Amino acid sequence: MITEQGVKEFLHSGGYIADDAIATAVFLALRMEKPILIEGPPGVGKTGLAKALSTALDFPLVRLQCYEGIDEGKALYDWEYGKQLLYTQLLRTQLDTYLSVSADLREAVERLSAEESLFFSKNFLVQRPILRSFLSEKRSLLLIDEIDRSDDEFEALLLECLSEFQVSIPELGVIEAKRKPLTILTSNGTRMISDALRRRCLYLYIGYPELEREVEIVRVKFPEICDDLARQMVAFLRKARELNLRKPPSVSETLDWAQVLSILKATRLTSEIVANTVGVIAKHQTDLLKVTELAVQELG
Amino acid sequence: MERIIAGFVAELRKSGIRVSPGESLDAVQALGLAGMEGRRSSRQLLRLTLVKNVNDIATFNEVFNRYFSRFTFVDQDLNLPELLDAALIDMEGEFNYLNQTQGDDHDQGGPLLKLDSDINPEDLQELKSLTEIDPDDSDGNEIVVQMKGFRGKAKNAPRPTRRYTRNPLTIELNKGDSTPMGLTFTPEEQMVMQDVVSRMMLRLRKDMKRMHNNQNRGKLHVIKTIQKNYRHDMIPFQVALRRKRREKPRLVVLCDVSFSVSHASRFMLLLLHTLHNQMLDVRSFIFNREVAEITDMLANMPVNDLMAAIDKGDIVDLDENSSFGQVFLAFKKRYLENLRGRPAFIILGDARNNYDEANDWVLDEIREKSRYMLWLTPEERDTWKRGDCLMDVYGAYCDKVEVVKTVEDLGLVVEDLLRDIYADHAHPIDKKRLQEAKAAEEYDSKDYYTRGTSGAGEPAFDPAGRSQW
Repeated sequence: MITEQGVKEFLHSGGYIADDAIATAVFLALRMEKPILIEGPPGVGKTGLAKALSTALDFPLVRLQCYEGIDEGKALYDWEYGKQLLYTQLLRTQLDTYLSVSADLREAVERLSAEESLFFSKNFLVQRPILRSFLSEKRSLLLIDEIDRSDDEFEALLLECLSEFQVSIPELGVIEAKRKPLTILTSNGTRMISDALRRRCLYLYIGYPELEREVEIVRVKFPEICDDLARQMVAFLRKARELNLRKPPSVSETLDWAQVLSILKATRLTSEIVANTVGVIAKHQTDLLKVTELAVQELG
Repeated sequence: MERIIAGFVAELRKSGIRVSPGESLDAVQALGLAGMEGRRSSRQLLRLTLVKNVNDIATFNEVFNRYFSRFTFVDQDLNLPELLDAALIDMEGEFNYLNQTQGDDHDQGGPLLKLDSDINPEDLQELKSLTEIDPDDSDGNEIVVQMKGFRGKAKNAPRPTRRYTRNPLTIELNKGDSTPMGLTFTPEEQMVMQDVVSRMMLRLRKDMKRMHNNQNRGKLHVIKTIQKNYRHDMIPFQVALRRKRREKPRLVVLCDVSFSVSHASRFMLLLLHTLHNQMLDVRSFIFNREVAEITDMLANMPVNDLMAAIDKGDIVDLDENSSFGQVFLAFKKRYLENLRGRPAFIILGDARNNYDEANDWVLDEIREKSRYMLWLTPEERDTWKRGDCLMDVYGAYCDKVEVVKTVEDLGLVVEDLLRDIYADHAHPIDKKRLQEAKAAEEYDSKDYYTRGTSGAGEPAFDPAGRSQW
C-alpha cells in the first residue's frame, strides 16, 4: 500500500525532492492508472521527475521525445518491410511448391491469401516506444517528453493509447497493454494542448520551487555545499527570476551553478564570483548584464 | 461526497472552468483513494483532477475557498482541516452538529453551502447518469464567448464631438484627469482576441498545411530515392523529392489610426502580427496625416505599451486631420521603393480626406507593385460619395473594397484574404482545385450592388454598441 508520504520518501531516495502537489499527483497516477500531464517552465524538473520515478520504482524508462512531424511509425509501431521482403525471397521455392498444387490461378490466390496473416504477424512488427512500454513484461514508465512540440494529429493519435492503454493495428487488431505503464507527459506550454488530451490526464503544474525546497534540492545533489552558501545562492536566484529576464534561471541552472561553485570551492557568494560564473545562470547577452548588476546591488 | 463534488463542479462551471463528467468522476475516485486529510490535500486532489489549465488555477482556488467556506468558523483563511474532514466524511451529521455548536451563526455573510435545499432528487439523478455517459464523448461545458468589441470600456470611445472638444485649452484643463488615455486592452479583451486568433489559426492551418506540403514538393530526387529504398530491394516504397525553397507570402498593412476607425485598426494590427512569423511576412504602417512604420515596435514592444503610445500620439500626430493623399505621397517617397516581392496590400480607413488633394495616381503605382489590393472601410456604400469621402475615387484602384463593420467581419475578411494569398502561392494542383472550388461558389451579380448598402433592415444606431465603430 503506497501512501503520499511513501511517495515522497521513495522519490527522495531517487534524488528528487517533491512537494505535496507532486507527491499527490504521483500517488494518484499510481493508484488510478491515469497519465499525468506536467506543465511548467523549462528546467524545473519535469523530465527529472520521470527519471527519478523510474529509478525509485524500478520501472524501466521508455522515453518518447516528441518533435514536429512525429507519427505513428515513430511512436507506436512500424512494419519491417525489409524483413518481409527478405522472407518472401527466401521462401520463394517453398511458395512455388505450395502453390503448384492448385489447379488454376483463382485457387492459387485463395491459397495464398489464406496465409496472408503470416506476413502481417508480430514477427514483422517493429515496436516503437509506446507499444514497447505496453508490451513490456514488467510495469514500465512511459515518458512522452515535450508533447507540445508534436502536431495536432499526433495528439489525436495518443488519445486511444492514453485512455484505453491499447493500440489498434489494422492488420492485427487491438493490442492491449500487458501492464498499464505509469505515463508521464511533459509540456513547456509553447502550444495549447487540446482539451481532449488534458481530460484524459491528471494535470500537474510545476512552477519554481519554494526557497526551502530548492535549498534542499541543492543540498541533496551537492552535499559539499554548505547550508549558508546554498541558502545564499538560492535567494539570489529567486531575486534574479523576478528581473524579467528573457530566460529566467531555473532549477537546472541552480544545480549547474551549485556544481560550478563546488568546483571553485567557494564558501560565500560575492559579486566577483557571480560575475565570473554568470554564464551558468544567464543565457542571453542582455540577461548577463542584468544579473551582474543585481549581484553588485545585492552582494556589494 | 458525490453530491458535494457535483455541486462544486457546477460551481466551477459557473465560473467558466470547463469540467467534463469524466473529470468529476475522477475527482470522486481520487478522493476515495487518497482520503481527505485536511483542506490542503483535498484541494490538491481536486485541483489535480478537475483543473487542466494553468490559467484556471487561480479561479479554482477562489471557487474552492468560497464553496467550502461554510465550514470555517471564524476566518475564511484559517485552516481548519479537522473540521473539513469531519464535514466531508459525514455530511448530514456534521451539518447538524455545526448548527448546534454555532447556533448563533446563521446570519453569517457570504455564500453558504446549503446541502439539503440545494440538491434535489433531480440533481442526484443527473449525477447517477454521469456514470453512464462515456467520458470521452462529451466536451464539457462550452463557454460561449460573446464578441462585443475589443477596446476598453466606452470611457474614451471615439465620438465626432471629440474633434471639437480636443482643442489645446481643453486638453490643458483635463490634464489632471487620471489616465485620460486609459484605452489599453484589458486582460479579458486580450484573451478574447487570442481566442479569435487561435480559432482562426486552426481553421487556416488545416487548409494550409496541405498546401505547404505540396508547395515544398519538387521533382523526384533519384539518388535519395535509391538510397532510401536500398533495403527494400530497390523497389521504391518510399519516394524522396527535391525540396523547393518556400517564400512566405508578404503583406503590407496601412492602418488609419484616427479616432474614426481606431478600434478596427488596433485589432487589425494585432491580428496580423499574431499571424506574423507563423505564416506571413507583415509590414505594418500607421498613419493619420503622417505615416510611420511600426513593424519592429509591434514585434518588440508589449502590445499595451505600443497601443498606449499610438493613442497618445507619440508615433503619429493624432490631433491633425487625416489626409490620405499626403499619406500616399509620403509612403511612395519613403517606403514604396524598398518593398520586396509583390506584397498584398491592405488599407484600412474611411477615405475621408478632409478636402485635401486626392493624389490618387500614387495608388496606381502602388497597385503596380502589389499582387493584390484590398481596402477595408467602415462606411456604408451609400456614403462613399458624400462630403469629403473619396472612397469611389480610391476604390477604382483596388482589387476589392470591403465594408467591415464589426470585428468578426474583419476577422473573416482577413481570413479570406490569407486564403487567397496562399492559393496564389500554391502548387499548381492545389491552385486548380481551389479555383474550381471558387468558381463553384454561388455568385449573385445582383449582390454586388446591394452588398454593403443598408437595406430595409437597417439597425438602429446604438451609441453603446462597442462592436460598431
